[in-house]
Formats: sequence, structure tokens, C-alpha cells
Amino acid sequence: MMTNFILLLFTIALYQFVSRCQNKWQFIWLNPMFISIIILIPLLIFINVSYDSYTESIQVLNLLLEPAIVALGFPLYQQLKQIKLHWKKIISLLSLGVILVISISFISATLLINKENIAIALSLKSVTTPIGITLTEQLYGDSTITAFAIMIAGLLGALLGPAWLNFIHVRSAIAQGIAIGAASHVIGTAVLAKISAEHAAYSSMALISTALLTAIISPVLIPALIHYMYP
Amino acid sequence: MKNALYTLAYIGLCLFLGKLINYTVSGLPASLYGMVIYCILLQMNFISVIKITKANQWIIRNMGVCFVPAGVGIINHFDLIRNHGFALISIIFFSTFALLTFIGLVSERIFDHKNTIKSSR
Repeated sequence: MMTNFILLLFTIALYQFVSRCQNKWQFIWLNPMFISIIILIPLLIFINVSYDSYTESIQVLNLLLEPAIVALGFPLYQQLKQIKLHWKKIISLLSLGVILVISISFISATLLINKENIAIALSLKSVTTPIGITLTEQLYGDSTITAFAIMIAGLLGALLGPAWLNFIHVRSAIAQGIAIGAASHVIGTAVLAKISAEHAAYSSMALISTALLTAIISPVLIPALIHYMYP
Repeated sequence: MKNALYTLAYIGLCLFLGKLINYTVSGLPASLYGMVIYCILLQMNFISVIKITKANQWIIRNMGVCFVPAGVGIINHFDLIRNHGFALISIIFFSTFALLTFIGLVSERIFDHKNTIKSSR
């Protein structure tokens, strides 16, 4: 009981501490989410706490996850007027993006690993976890891999996304928001939300639309890919 | 304090409505339905924007901590990483960056962002 409480307190304190450091020094790699994860993993192994007992201790954080996502409705509301102007373009662009990412992931997974259930899992990694897992199971993929891949895709986009987009001269809030919301779902959005409310709004809008579009497109596209790649 | 409770109460209500929708029609996760409902209620002025602003901004600044446990979950996938780690990571890396680049470059072209660029700075 005591250890549970200490682990929870430690997780929050660690996150807050890194967060303060980042505010002070402004390094991209000093992302509180990322640093907390890479400190916690070896620490849990070292003090011999299994992941299951860790999740038990931080249950509160899991409970807060859903309300935190609901709170993203506020930046969405703030930018509603802007979004209304562009929604047709955004939806058509995101549909293309979903088709692109599913095809690239499925085909490269088939070429490199050649396992149908892994290819399916990797195709569905750009959406938020509950949707990715449900869709993977519907299509008979391996959902533990989906969960892992969603996490990595989220962290990649959250940590390197803004720097990469600046590097390729994609600098407007609307473009950065849509790109990161589409590729790195809630995790990317959580990080972007710190940059500006506008980033957060487009990112939230993109993550909702990507989730919806993936749910519509994948049950058609993935069986077609399976048909051609695994005859 | 009062406003924080007000914010939490409405977020809770929206999440509850989201759960109801998820339970009856499924589709999206409850939290995403909740996000949309929250946005609609704000737009309808049903929820007071002034009262929620401060607490809501605080939540958004700190929500990253809720994703830490999921990330630590990588611990459970060491076997998978040992067998297919390199291929898995490269596929995820490559496809995520392809998507970021594609969406980023196209949207930078197709949206008139003269009016948005100011507020992003």
C-alpha cells in the first residue's frame, strides 16, 4: 500500500520536476513525458516492481486520462470558427493521409516481417489507443503490438514532430496541428497544446477525424491489402 | 476553487454523456465523444467560458503525466522488441514521418495561413 502511494507520488513529482526544468531551459528532448518514461522503466526493473503492480499504483492517473481528453474540447471550441472555414479540405486531406499511412505500414511490415497479424497491427497505429485496439481485433491483428506501436508513434510525433515540421518549413499552427494530430493522436496533441491553443485545436480536430476516417477506411482497405499481399 | 469544481463537474458530465453514447452506438471512444460534447456545450454558452478557462488551461498543461503509465508499458513488450525490434521501430518511424511530412507540406500549401500565423507566435 505504502509503495503504491510512493510510486504514484514519485511519478507525479518526477513529471513536475522535468516540466519545471523544461520551462527553464527549453530543450526539446527535455520532454517531461519522455524523460519520466525512460527514468521509470529502469527504475521499476531495478526495484523489481512488475508493470501490473505499477499500473495498480498509478490507477488515479488512468482515471484522469479520460477527463483530460475531454478538456481538449476547450481549444477546439476556441478555434471553431477557423475550423468551420476549412473542414472540407481538412477531411479530404486526412482521408488521403489515412490511406497513405495504412498502405505504407502494411506493405513495409509485409516486406520486412511477413506476418499478417503484425502488418495489421502496425497499419492501425496512428489513431488513439482504444480505437486502434478495437479495429485491430476486428481485423484479427495482434492488438498488443498495436498498443506498443501507437505509443511509439505518439512519442515520435510529440518529441520530434514540431522540430521536423519546422525543419521542412511547415511552420503555421494549422499545418503543424493537423499533421501531428493525424500522426500522433492524443500524445502529440498533449505536447502541442503547450505551444498554442490554435495548435491544440487543429490537433484535436485532426485526431478525432483521423480516428473516424480510420474506422471507416480500414475495414475496406486492410482486407484488400491482405488479399493482394497474402494470397 | 469554485471555478475549478465547476470545470470538473462539466467535464465529468460530458464524459458521462460520452460514455452513454459509446454504450449505445459504440464507434469512437467515450472520451472523444465527451470532447465533442464539451465543445458543443461551450459553443452553445451552456458552459461559461470565463469560469472554465483557468482550470482548463491548467489541465491541458499537465495532462501529459496521464500518458506516462502507458509509455512505461513498453516494459511488457521486451520479447517482441528482441525478436522484431529493429523492423518494428523502423516501420513505425518511417510511416509516422511520411504521414507528418505529407500532411504538413500539403496543409501548409492549401490553407491560407496569413491570419493564423500571428497567433502561433
